[in-house]
Amino acid sequence: MRQLRAWLLRLGGLFTGRGRERDLAAEMESHLALHIEDNMRRGMLPDEARRQALISLGGVEQTKERYRDRRGLPALETLLQDTRYGWRVLRKNPGFTMLAVLTLALGIGANTTIFSWIDSTLLNPIPGAAQTGDIVSITRGGTVDDPGEFSWPDYLDLRAGTRSFSGLAAFQFRPLDLTGTNKPERLWGADVSANYFDVFRVRPFLGRGFVAAEDEKPGGAPVAVLNYGLWQRRFGGDPHIIGRTIFLNRHPFTVVGVAPRAFHGTMTGLQTDIWVPFMMQQQVASGADWIHDRGDNELMMQGRLAPGVSIEQARGEMNLLMQHLAQQFPDSHFGQNQVGIYPLWRSPNGANGHFYIVLPMLMAIAGLVLLLACANVANLLLVRSVSRRREIAIRLSMGAGRGRVMRQLLVESIQLALAGGGVALLITAWSTGTLADFIPPTSFPVSLAIHPDRTVLLAGLAISIVTGLIFGILPASRSASLDPMAILKEETGSISGGRRKARLTSALVVAQLAMSLLLLVAAGLFIRAFQRAQQTNPGFNPEHVLVASFDLFPAGYTSEQGREFDRQLLAKLTALPGIQSASMADVMPLGLTRNTEMVKLEGYVPQLHEAMDIRSAAVGPGFLHMMQIPLVAGREFTANDREDTQQVAMVNQTLADRYWPNEDPLGKRIWAEGHWSTVVGVARTCDYDRLDEKPQPFLYLPLLQDYTSHPIVLARVAGDPLSFAPALEKAIHELNADLPVFDQDSLAVRVEIASTLQRLAGTFVGAFGLLALILATVGIYGVIAYSARQRTREIGIRMALGADRRDVMRLVLGQGLRLTLAGLALGLALSLVLTRFLSSALFGISATDPLTFGTVAACLGFVALGACYLPARRAMGVEPNVALRLQ
Amino acid sequence: MREKADVWQGTLALMILKTLEGMGALHGYGIARRIEQTSGDRLSVNYGTIYPALLKLEQEGYIGSEWGVSDNKRKAKYYHLTRAGRKQVEREARDWQRTTAILDRFLAPEEQS
Repeated sequence: MRQLRAWLLRLGGLFTGRGRERDLAAEMESHLALHIEDNMRRGMLPDEARRQALISLGGVEQTKERYRDRRGLPALETLLQDTRYGWRVLRKNPGFTMLAVLTLALGIGANTTIFSWIDSTLLNPIPGAAQTGDIVSITRGGTVDDPGEFSWPDYLDLRAGTRSFSGLAAFQFRPLDLTGTNKPERLWGADVSANYFDVFRVRPFLGRGFVAAEDEKPGGAPVAVLNYGLWQRRFGGDPHIIGRTIFLNRHPFTVVGVAPRAFHGTMTGLQTDIWVPFMMQQQVASGADWIHDRGDNELMMQGRLAPGVSIEQARGEMNLLMQHLAQQFPDSHFGQNQVGIYPLWRSPNGANGHFYIVLPMLMAIAGLVLLLACANVANLLLVRSVSRRREIAIRLSMGAGRGRVMRQLLVESIQLALAGGGVALLITAWSTGTLADFIPPTSFPVSLAIHPDRTVLLAGLAISIVTGLIFGILPASRSASLDPMAILKEETGSISGGRRKARLTSALVVAQLAMSLLLLVAAGLFIRAFQRAQQTNPGFNPEHVLVASFDLFPAGYTSEQGREFDRQLLAKLTALPGIQSASMADVMPLGLTRNTEMVKLEGYVPQLHEAMDIRSAAVGPGFLHMMQIPLVAGREFTANDREDTQQVAMVNQTLADRYWPNEDPLGKRIWAEGHWSTVVGVARTCDYDRLDEKPQPFLYLPLLQDYTSHPIVLARVAGDPLSFAPALEKAIHELNADLPVFDQDSLAVRVEIASTLQRLAGTFVGAFGLLALILATVGIYGVIAYSARQRTREIGIRMALGADRRDVMRLVLGQGLRLTLAGLALGLALSLVLTRFLSSALFGISATDPLTFGTVAACLGFVALGACYLPARRAMGVEPNVALRLQ
Repeated sequence: MREKADVWQGTLALMILKTLEGMGALHGYGIARRIEQTSGDRLSVNYGTIYPALLKLEQEGYIGSEWGVSDNKRKAKYYHLTRAGRKQVEREARDWQRTTAILDRFLAPEEQS
């Protein structure tokens, strides 16, 4: 405590005004006066008395200085001094300062931008929830693209059996219609287990979450919790909202709570507008009875690990429980039963499943850009240090310690870096939003609330300081180790930086070139991979296709009426001018939603634990024709495949080849959706999850037999798809004037969403690569130009001795060429080793693609030599007479 | 060098506190003289070193200071013990005695030989 008090007083002492200084002088004066009086009383003469008093005091100024050191904090005081001095030096060289700050701002800005994304996705996966580090996502096998899900009865058994989790929640994500007074509005809702808000420790802003009783009786819990944004937007922030009745899919629900403002659901990047208990599944969704059907796996599961339980332990326990269920209920568990448990930063439910690969990769690349910027600024400092040699030599010879000189130079570097960091944060405030710009406007509830927060600010500060140390330490230690005598004896400007320094700057340039080559190769690979993905034919033609959806369930249609509606609509659409063909599907290829069926295949015996979950879609008549997916064999669904005719199915080529090799798939039977269907057609395989994926088996079921109330309508049109949107809406409204039409979009835009990450990575790595190219060019130009200027006199002598202009050109270019070649060689070696870490993000292209490597090396070499050519030309123009007289 | 200075700083602080305890309020010169006299003129250091030590004690809250007038009508800054300072004198003195007692045991046999 005493220490702290003293320290605070000393901190205050830094800013004391003249009052304390006057006080100190007065005290010294009084001390001397008292002593002199004493001495005179002992018989000394006044002069002698004064002299003796001064001797025993040990000098007035010395005492004052020691006193001042104790009064303030000397270390801090010199730091302030250094800062003020550094500020003056930087202001005196505005050109250098601006260049350095700009370079650093770009380097640091690249890092803070990517970090801000990581911060708001991987590090804060569920805003509004507490202690998300303990929360994990639980899947039943599956992949990141298609995490396997659980049935409600299984969920209940797992929840009852587990000891690894302090809470286990299940939920489903679905579109809902908010009906009632106004125009119906489409919302994205989650029907959740009643413990949902408790497991995530989300305290409602108003009212309550759900209670255990709301998990018990099917249809018995008509309550809802609103998203804060929905409450504000749709209900004007009504403080008396609790207890009000709203209509979801035409069914009355009582509002019991409003979620806190930050909370948007538990899937990163996806926004949930409203929550209802899962017991209301029959009221909000058509179709099967998921509350009781153990075979219908529709629920995502997330849980909070009990204290001290590791993911491995939890996985072990869940696998055991799952095996037990599979033995108990073999009929509904012949699919994938291995449990996967993922921490939220790489949870497959939501955007992190994709981000966790791409963002750290971008971060690493941004780090490289920053290193490059450091090398550039270090070189600038080295060049500038030559003109400051005399200043530093004088300070050293006046008795400044080398540590003190070095500290002062480092303070200058850190000031530069902090200025760069400040500009970088300004850049970040803008650039952080660009992540959202990569997602095309879509009706899918993508919500990436990315704001640079305090963590980003602190990270920016830390990065800046470290950056300042990195680029400052070399030049500073060089300057501090100068021999002052040698320098002061030098004639001004007659000697260049000396051999050691030349070697250091050359090494820095080689490192710069090598790093830029690495960055450019990475950029080239990403861009090539992206181009390839764009050029790849996804297996269907997404151009000129309009998509839209509607939901007949909330409008009160039975499946019988719904089928009739669909048939009539398709007939209407195909009759419209400009619409070439039209069909329907419950999910589309490369859309963001997916269906998976657990299937049995006639004549195929699955191996133990073999996953028989197969991606599927229910599609209308003429779907393949409309999508322009070629039919390999048999026929596709027609309007004659009705609920009262034979149950039929189509498979893709990959499914046929994998499960029925060397057999005719036509006529085989397949078990899905609880019944057997006969295969009548084989379609060519296309991309379903993302461009350039591995071929995967796919099953088509007829929409007119396996009914869904909320299909997607697809129409191939002549011209701009969206210009046909009103016509399509009109056709629907002619059948039912009150039916809301949602999600009107062009299929091409939906497909674009599927390649968002590639575009994101391609764009940013490309931009980083460009930045690297500029930095490297400026770097090599600076070094060659500087060394050529330093050698002006030498060149003059050479020319006077008979060297012609071409020899001079060769001399300067030769130096540049050597550096360039060394840089390129090192860079190629580095790239060969390092690019393989990118391979998981490069689709369809080798991480050592020779074309990319060759082109990039050639480009960089060419640009580097170009940068050397300018100084070489200037050197050629040297007049020996002038050069020799140059001092 | 530094260790020596630290020891000196520590002992000087105790000497100052002890002097103020015995003499009441006193100015810097008076304290320095008093310490010199008490040590039997065996301790001759620069009077100047006393001022940073006084400042340190003041910052730590063991002593206070105010301007006053000396017996011979000179303006001088007078230092006095605070309550915390009184306690500190006892504590420091105890610690110091313990330290010297231990050190004596180490040093005694050598002096005999």
